[in-house]
Amino acid sequence: MTFRTKLPITTISIFTFAFALTGPVFAQVDLTGEWAPAYHEDGPERLPGPELGDYMGIPINDNARLRADSYDADRISVVTEYQCRPHSADYGMRGLGDLRVTRQIDPTTQQLVAFHTYMPAWGSVRTIWMDGRPHPADYMPHTWQGFSTGVWDGNMLVVTTTHLKANYLRRNGISSSDKRTVTEYWTRHRNYLTVVEYVDDPVMLTEPLVRSQNWTLDPGQETHRMFCEYAPEVPAEVGSVPNHLPGANPFLHEVADWYGLPYEATRGGAKTIYPEYKLSMPQPEQPAPAHCERFCVCSVLLDCNLHGGALGGPPPAR
Amino acid sequence: MKKSLLFTVLFSAVMVAQAPQGAQPPVLPGPPPQARPGKTAAPVDFTGYWVSPVMEDWRWRMVTPVKGDFASVPITAEAFKEGQNWDPAKDEAAGLQCKAYGAAAVMRVPGRLHITWQDDNTLKIETDAGTQTRLFHFNSKAPANEPASWQGYSEANWERPVRGEGDPRNDIPPIFSTRTGTRGKSLEVVTTHLRPGYLRKNGVPYSDNARVEEFYDYHKAPNGDEWFTVTTVVHDAKYLNVPFITSTDFKKQRDAAGWNPTPCSTR
Repeated sequence: MTFRTKLPITTISIFTFAFALTGPVFAQVDLTGEWAPAYHEDGPERLPGPELGDYMGIPINDNARLRADSYDADRISVVTEYQCRPHSADYGMRGLGDLRVTRQIDPTTQQLVAFHTYMPAWGSVRTIWMDGRPHPADYMPHTWQGFSTGVWDGNMLVVTTTHLKANYLRRNGISSSDKRTVTEYWTRHRNYLTVVEYVDDPVMLTEPLVRSQNWTLDPGQETHRMFCEYAPEVPAEVGSVPNHLPGANPFLHEVADWYGLPYEATRGGAKTIYPEYKLSMPQPEQPAPAHCERFCVCSVLLDCNLHGGALGGPPPAR
Repeated sequence: MKKSLLFTVLFSAVMVAQAPQGAQPPVLPGPPPQARPGKTAAPVDFTGYWVSPVMEDWRWRMVTPVKGDFASVPITAEAFKEGQNWDPAKDEAAGLQCKAYGAAAVMRVPGRLHITWQDDNTLKIETDAGTQTRLFHFNSKAPANEPASWQGYSEANWERPVRGEGDPRNDIPPIFSTRTGTRGKSLEVVTTHLRPGYLRKNGVPYSDNARVEEFYDYHKAPNGDEWFTVTTVVHDAKYLNVPFITSTDFKKQRDAAGWNPTPCSTR
């Protein structure tokens, strides 16, 4: 075999091997684009905001409940450090926000390096590394968006996020801890995006919190920048933090009374989330109103707050 | 010389695999292959008992919401008007107790599911809440004279990978395919022929023209628990401004613990 025949064989074999390796990695489900959120679940919680004392559907432990009971809504108005507190990677997906997903391709290898997401709420930018890099050591800094890595499982993107700062499970005092790990399952079907979140928080939950969110592809969506200015909104002593001592929060019964729900059910916890709880659920202390009185039409923010949704009026024509 | 031939063959195979999807595949002799039975083709096993822990929409699922509470549902003015007339006693008298257990809503009702293969092309979902049975038909279209029912007629298929223009490249060995990462694992179901019903127990309506798309996705949690999520998209121009999209999560059980068939209820 001469030199002239050896060279092509070597070249071809390298070329062949490289193609075989790189092909499947690049061509995945296309998650990129502008995604508009569908607030068709828990609209009043995610749009105008949750009622105080509403812990329904969250498997919180006693610690989380005690902490939530101490919450006073004036806290955000008085303690300026809270005012521009960003939504974390996990709460951001459940909370309020359009979503943009882009991907980063290595120009040399043409392999997917990362997905980047942007949500206008607090200008949240997140990176989901797809290049197989490991998570940092436990002692490394925690951030609002944490450290995310993704792997494909068929047509599903499985994302693991660690190194998160403490944030919200619900914006009424139910906190998450910085010890949590969040696993997400992203799937696209036609022009629908569904992201299932599995929050494992040993500090605040007795079992993982599993919720799923949906978006629709909206190529014309314009996402905006968010500006947040610190400003004391309620007169208060410097350094004070509005709170309620254990057993002294007068607002905890409101949600049960307004909607005619058993107070016990509004306190949350794992036993209340399974279907059989319907059989043992106590009777409400107050009867339910004859007709809806709060956030009755509420699937987009304007309806909830401006168009009579809060008073039970009809939806505006679209 | 033999090595050279081997590499040439390999190179050619890979180059074919990397060709644009719009390229014409070779014409294969013989009739098109018959569709595989749904059970044989299943990439995921959904059979077993499943429970829905209610961690979303608790206030609208675990209790019957009050009249006029349409929160989160993108209703039209007509639906608003219809919902104001909700009268559970009237539904009971008319034998319409199952209006909130139709295909557009039943996966959202708290309860357990028992999923089995009725035959090679029919996946059966039984619900204990309302004692309903859904049948997902693979390789089958709704008969022209199919009557309307609470569960309607459901056409099912295992979702194929998303592709661009051009024919699927079934002629390529998977190892050389550029799209192996997109292999579908999802169950897609489209349901029509529905009787008019309720999206929620408090009379938020859907019409007999409603069309329900569902996507079932299996996932395994870090602690080993098995889950599936069904994304449900209800299309109904009469009562919905935009498609109503929810996703409901189910956790697999080892056995039938908690299985408690109950009749439909209006309250």
